[in-house]
Amino acid sequence: MTLNMTAETETAKIARGLRERDMELLADLVERFQHRLVRYLLYLTGRRDYAEDLAQETWIRVLQRGSQYNGRQRFDPWLFAIARNLAIDYLRKKLRAVQTVSLPNDRDAMLLLPSSGPSPFEAAARSEDAMRLAGRLQILSPLYREALLLRFQEELSLAEIAQVVGAPLTTVTSRIYRGLAALRSAFEEGDSHGV
Amino acid sequence: MECDKRFRELIDRSFVEEVSEGERRLMHDHIRDCDGCKRYVELTARTIRGLREFTFPSEADSSAQVFEILARHTETMRQQNVQFRIWAAFAVALSMSIVGSALVYQVAKFLAAPMHFDNAQVQAGVLVFWLLPSFCAALYTLAAPGQNRGIA
Repeated sequence: MTLNMTAETETAKIARGLRERDMELLADLVERFQHRLVRYLLYLTGRRDYAEDLAQETWIRVLQRGSQYNGRQRFDPWLFAIARNLAIDYLRKKLRAVQTVSLPNDRDAMLLLPSSGPSPFEAAARSEDAMRLAGRLQILSPLYREALLLRFQEELSLAEIAQVVGAPLTTVTSRIYRGLAALRSAFEEGDSHGV
Repeated sequence: MECDKRFRELIDRSFVEEVSEGERRLMHDHIRDCDGCKRYVELTARTIRGLREFTFPSEADSSAQVFEILARHTETMRQQNVQFRIWAAFAVALSMSIVGSALVYQVAKFLAAPMHFDNAQVQAGVLVFWLLPSFCAALYTLAAPGQNRGIA
């Protein structure tokens, strides 16, 4: 109960600060969430350079539309939802720049942009297991990657993930299960080959 | 041996969402006797552990850079807000000047006959004593120095 009250006070304070464009609060939020925001965008886009640019855009959007945060939910899902929408628009523009064929209508399909260059996941792997997963992560659908990150690293509830990605709970759980299955196969295959 | 699909689904669910105490017991009882599902649990746990072992180094000054951008953006927004207030105040003052002048003209025309003024005198009076001063007051909202600008 006390914890709930504390959480409510915290989000209400953030909501008020964003409404008033309190720079001190904003600096605190940037300090606390910037790393997680970049990580989320990295999982979503698979590109470090995109993630850094989009994180900056996200904070500007938070500054401009801070009054829309009502303080009744946690701040991080709201932040990730903004970042996600920006990422989709950003990737759509990037695709438009390189493609001459017509674009798919599904917003989520836009996330399936192939990435190039060295994998940021390999660079971030801190264990042998993580290294084995890195290759799979890079080719895994960003939608699955995103769901896995939000569940197992950000530890958001399924309802919060559904809020971030704007999809029903069943879709979210299905993405997590499929993502897990794809990654699990990295160990299954590796072990069966005696790796 | 391929296990019953529902046990694999139950195992998946136990990692991703809440399962009831009964389901958990059922799962544990099954895993005890099933090597395939035991391995499935181990691999799933290993996968999730592996996912948590990614550390993305953040640029040292990343937060500082973002905050600098935000501070600049705030200043730009504040200036835009001031500009908007100034022009909004001018628009309101100008409208009031025009509407007010029309009303004063109507009243002056009504009073002109008993006071023996002709139409040209009424028009000149409204122009000199109402329209021009109120128009100047409206312009003042644009030209006033410092903080008084835009505050009509």
